[in-house]
Amino acid sequence: MTKKIEEVRHLGEKKRPIAEKERETYDRDYSRYAFSYPTDKYKYVLKPGLSREVIEEISAIKNEPKWMREFRLKAYEIFLKKPMPTWGGDLSHINFDTITYYATPTDKGARSWEDVPEEVKKTFDRLGIPEAERKFLAGVGAQYDSEVVYHSIREDLAKKGVIFLSMDEGLREYPDLVKEYFGTVIPPTDNKFAALNSAVWSGGSFIYVPKGVHVEIPLQAYFRINAPQMGQFERTLIIADEGARVHYIEGCLPGGEQVSVGDRWVNIESLKPGDYVIADNGEKARVRATMVRRYRGEMLTIKPISPYNAFRLTPEHPVLVVRRSRVLQRRKPRNGWLPEVDTEKLFTAQPEYVPAGELTVGDFLVFPKVQAHNYNPRYSPELLKLLGYYLAEGSAFIHKTLNVPVVSFSFGTHEKEVITEVCDLITKITGKDAYVTELKGRHAVNVTVYSQELFDVCTSSCGTGASSKRLSDELMALPPEQIEPLLTAYFVGDGNVCDKGNSVMYRAATASETLAQQIQELLARKGIYASIHVRPGGDDTINGRKIHRKDQYIIVYTADKRWSEIRQTDRYFLVPIKEIERAPYDGFVFNLDVEGPSSYLVRGFAVHNCTAPIYSKESLHAAVVELIAKRGAHLRYTTLQNWSNDVYNLVTKRAIAYEDATVEWVDANIGCLTADTKVFLNPRGAVNITEVKPNDWIYALDLNTMEIVKRPVKGIVCTGVKPVFKLITENYREIKATANHPFLALYRSEKHWHLVWKPLEQLQVGDLIAIIDELPPKEGKPAEFVRIKALEPLGEEAVYDIEVEGAHNFIANGLIVHNSRLTMKYPSVYMLGKGARADILSVAFAGKGQHQDTGGKAIHAAPYTTSTIVSKSVSKDGGRATYRGQLVVAKGAHHAKSNVRCDALILDEYSRSDTYPYIEIDEDQVTIGHEATVGKVGDDQIFYLMSRGLSESEALSMIVLGFMEPFTKTLPMEYAIEFNRLIQLEMEGSVG
Amino acid sequence: MASTLEIRDLHVSVEGKEILKGVTLTVKTGEIHSIMGPNGSGKSTLALALMGHPKYEVTKGEILFKGQNIVELEPNERARLGLFLAFQYPLEIQGVPLGRFLWAAKKALLGQSQDGQTDKKADAKALSQFRKELQEKMKLLKMDESFAQRYLNVGFSGGEKKRAEIVQMHILKPEIAILDETDSGLDIDSVKIVAEAVNQLRGPDFGALVITHYQRILNFLKPDYVHVMIDGRIVRSGDESLVHELEAKGYDWLINESKAEVS
Repeated sequence: MTKKIEEVRHLGEKKRPIAEKERETYDRDYSRYAFSYPTDKYKYVLKPGLSREVIEEISAIKNEPKWMREFRLKAYEIFLKKPMPTWGGDLSHINFDTITYYATPTDKGARSWEDVPEEVKKTFDRLGIPEAERKFLAGVGAQYDSEVVYHSIREDLAKKGVIFLSMDEGLREYPDLVKEYFGTVIPPTDNKFAALNSAVWSGGSFIYVPKGVHVEIPLQAYFRINAPQMGQFERTLIIADEGARVHYIEGCLPGGEQVSVGDRWVNIESLKPGDYVIADNGEKARVRATMVRRYRGEMLTIKPISPYNAFRLTPEHPVLVVRRSRVLQRRKPRNGWLPEVDTEKLFTAQPEYVPAGELTVGDFLVFPKVQAHNYNPRYSPELLKLLGYYLAEGSAFIHKTLNVPVVSFSFGTHEKEVITEVCDLITKITGKDAYVTELKGRHAVNVTVYSQELFDVCTSSCGTGASSKRLSDELMALPPEQIEPLLTAYFVGDGNVCDKGNSVMYRAATASETLAQQIQELLARKGIYASIHVRPGGDDTINGRKIHRKDQYIIVYTADKRWSEIRQTDRYFLVPIKEIERAPYDGFVFNLDVEGPSSYLVRGFAVHNCTAPIYSKESLHAAVVELIAKRGAHLRYTTLQNWSNDVYNLVTKRAIAYEDATVEWVDANIGCLTADTKVFLNPRGAVNITEVKPNDWIYALDLNTMEIVKRPVKGIVCTGVKPVFKLITENYREIKATANHPFLALYRSEKHWHLVWKPLEQLQVGDLIAIIDELPPKEGKPAEFVRIKALEPLGEEAVYDIEVEGAHNFIANGLIVHNSRLTMKYPSVYMLGKGARADILSVAFAGKGQHQDTGGKAIHAAPYTTSTIVSKSVSKDGGRATYRGQLVVAKGAHHAKSNVRCDALILDEYSRSDTYPYIEIDEDQVTIGHEATVGKVGDDQIFYLMSRGLSESEALSMIVLGFMEPFTKTLPMEYAIEFNRLIQLEMEGSVG
Repeated sequence: MASTLEIRDLHVSVEGKEILKGVTLTVKTGEIHSIMGPNGSGKSTLALALMGHPKYEVTKGEILFKGQNIVELEPNERARLGLFLAFQYPLEIQGVPLGRFLWAAKKALLGQSQDGQTDKKADAKALSQFRKELQEKMKLLKMDESFAQRYLNVGFSGGEKKRAEIVQMHILKPEIAILDETDSGLDIDSVKIVAEAVNQLRGPDFGALVITHYQRILNFLKPDYVHVMIDGRIVRSGDESLVHELEAKGYDWLINESKAEVS
């Protein structure tokens, strides 16, 4: 694989003009960065292919009963046999180490129930919602008020005989029950991915609710003693026995490490896709996706020389390091010392990504120097100097009695030179004289100036208050030469210098955490690696007065670098690891998927996008959810999918409802993945497929003349999240498409060549397909044909399709592709017993560039069955929400009733909403209803709300939240709040 | 210090058609003004223009509130200055309970963001006070407590909507309130309830501009000033006695008079 990439890069640079994006995703030019990426490093997680042995091993590690092993192996056979094209055997992308990992039973340390509400409370805190208001909000979730409830949940459940375990535990503890139902709703033969899941499944939930038992509170993953591990091949089985009632919620609640966004560090969980972070090359890179998952296992704390910069990681998370073992001196290690390093070797060594679990003390972490180069003439050296003193000793406030802005500096009486300098600087900058007052008996001097101008500069660029001082974005963007006077003054003002004979040590202390980070950052840019130590706050006594001291961040560095253990190159420092701590952990872990360099900085240190194959788009993620509602049972399953978090969820979800049973699927989709396929428009040039609008002119191929033509676009559809495959041609064009997406291929039969549209899954390596060699395309140019070099499965992604008028094809990434046909995968309910009910509620929010394609499927296979499908969608900023509902009434299902309702809220004239009901009826006596409402937000409604004091965007949010209320009401408190919050985020900046 | 709403030579057009043709009027806190006039004379236009409805374009003149020209301000900014409009046709907002909405509005008026980090204890206290106050006010307007949980105006009867407007006014405590035909569609008991609720706010810190067709509500309200609007202008101002004169004579004498003046 590595070899392939290298070849591509090589050829790519030489040969072809390609779209920017394509370059990024494929032939990344590693040489642009200071160091190379050992792509082969991932090999450690890749084992060649899936085999009987691997499956047997999984089963053996899990100590499964024989029947399950056989079930897996049989599923594996089916998986192999399912018609699969050439790439069938090649599953080298799938990370089987992970599966083994998930299969390994972790220790059973029971988690205290006290922890649970803490988690929830944290979420509340993070959201800034006061407790009283939580209760008030819609009156939802009154039962979530007290911790007592959480305590009793487990006992209650146990008393009632409810089983709520991970699927693995379920199988261990209740093998017979599992055997009876497992794979009965979705057998391995259902589809290829169901077969794969059946062969290698791990994780997921197992719930059994006995006859007549009502579980009143919604069961959520974190109620379970053993947390869910959102794995690649999760398997969930829920059985509601006769007359039972249960509601299960899957979704995620996001806690965390600090990530560098350039001017400061932020908590990782506060990042959103589209935000920028600093990558390992010290430059900004865009966050493509944020991920969160529940993790239970060992957590590592990596402690570098600067204790404050310690960070936590899961053992599989790759960290950029130079291994000490690779750069040793020949000399024998001395007693008790780490083996000595050969400086020359260290400098020339290429940093590599190594899983955190493999790191040892003494390995060198990479601390990139964040690049800053925005010279700003507004900041003169004098001003910067004064700001440096301000950061150290200054305060800015409005004088209470005089009501004038004041900037004041305090120094010790002995700091005469500094005092004079500050006075001079003040006069130079403000044209005013400073007042110097000596505070008798305290050996202190105040330098004060009444200046609005200086007050404004100080407060806006450095903040106020000892613990909240921070440098503005503008200051942080200054080049190192320009900011230098500030740093110097800061250390003169706040620091002290300690001459240790052969080296000089500088120290400065601040109560502002952000400032400490920023100073560390600034020093790094000028080639100094400073340590930060934290002196915890507490009550203290100074000169007999009792005071409360805040946490102090102490920045320390040594001027003489010869004696430091830290080495540096132009772009980064190498900081040795002092200590690695290992501790058990159970909680949420976060990760980012960063574009371009695929890395980000945690507390200053470079780490890779976490083991990309697990959660990124590069992986195959096939989960299965089976629901069984027996006679008279009521089962609800809620999914909150893909908010800002791209944890890709399941593929095959199906429920069976027996006599008089009710199954409800509640499915919320906010945000759709954006596709990175490039298409060519006239005159806009290459754009991502998601940016195409109706009536744009797109390039297509006229099949009569085989020449390029321009055609108007009729529409763009996001056809859902589906497994996609990558097709690579011999000239290294590549495209991602679903298995059924048709491509124009040239085949030879006997003596003739002929053109055929063939779905990707029927194409083979070596086939000729049509391409446009020259990009951007030109009208009248003929198409060419080139052979397919490779076809690879890629995992799941949202896929888009374009409807083109007059030509049923378009040019994407230089390949000619047909408008695709749609296949849909939606939660479905099979009503197999008389009187069964299905309720499907699907909620979608389509914002800018998003196309939501959601829906549900109800199959009436017994008389007197009832289904209701409700879809609520909001579209704005050109978003498009499409609803597809499939309704099947089989022969014999007389007196079936079905009602489909679609409510759409459209926020502006650019957005749209479509409804496509698909109905197949094989029975006469049925009642089918379909209603659709399309609402627009009226100016009068907005005006009404604004007249009460709400801003326009608050008013709009309120209307949208109100529209979603029927859905929100079904959610427990914390989810409802998170959901509302997300909608508000989506609505922010949507007006004005 | 008394706050003043000063309308100077206000001209307002809707979709290009001039409705208000030079209205001049000053309302101070402590005063109740009433505007009467026949249908289509521009009374509601004045109300909506004062609150800043985007469809009502001020083509000439000024609206000064507390000395500031508010013509360019957004409706929410006007609300924050202390202006309130009780709508003639309150709008229905699905899914937004009255209580939740009012809490959000109150916070917005106080300049607190909807989800900002605030002092939680203080916030909880404020919220519990708010709920108590809301209960009281609803009682005052003889509305059932359950209305606080009902979606804003959705399924409310005409009278309930109007009373809910007055509940909102009581909660949001404006300095100057404009009541746009709050009495229309109310039975006599409701008119009395509404009028009493308005009277309760009466005092040096509250002023109102009451737009109405009928003298019924004015019998309870006893306005300090009464204005008659005809064809986009105030043609006659006077005290409460004007109401009785109008009752006796109808608007026609004023319409004829104003025509005579114009010609």
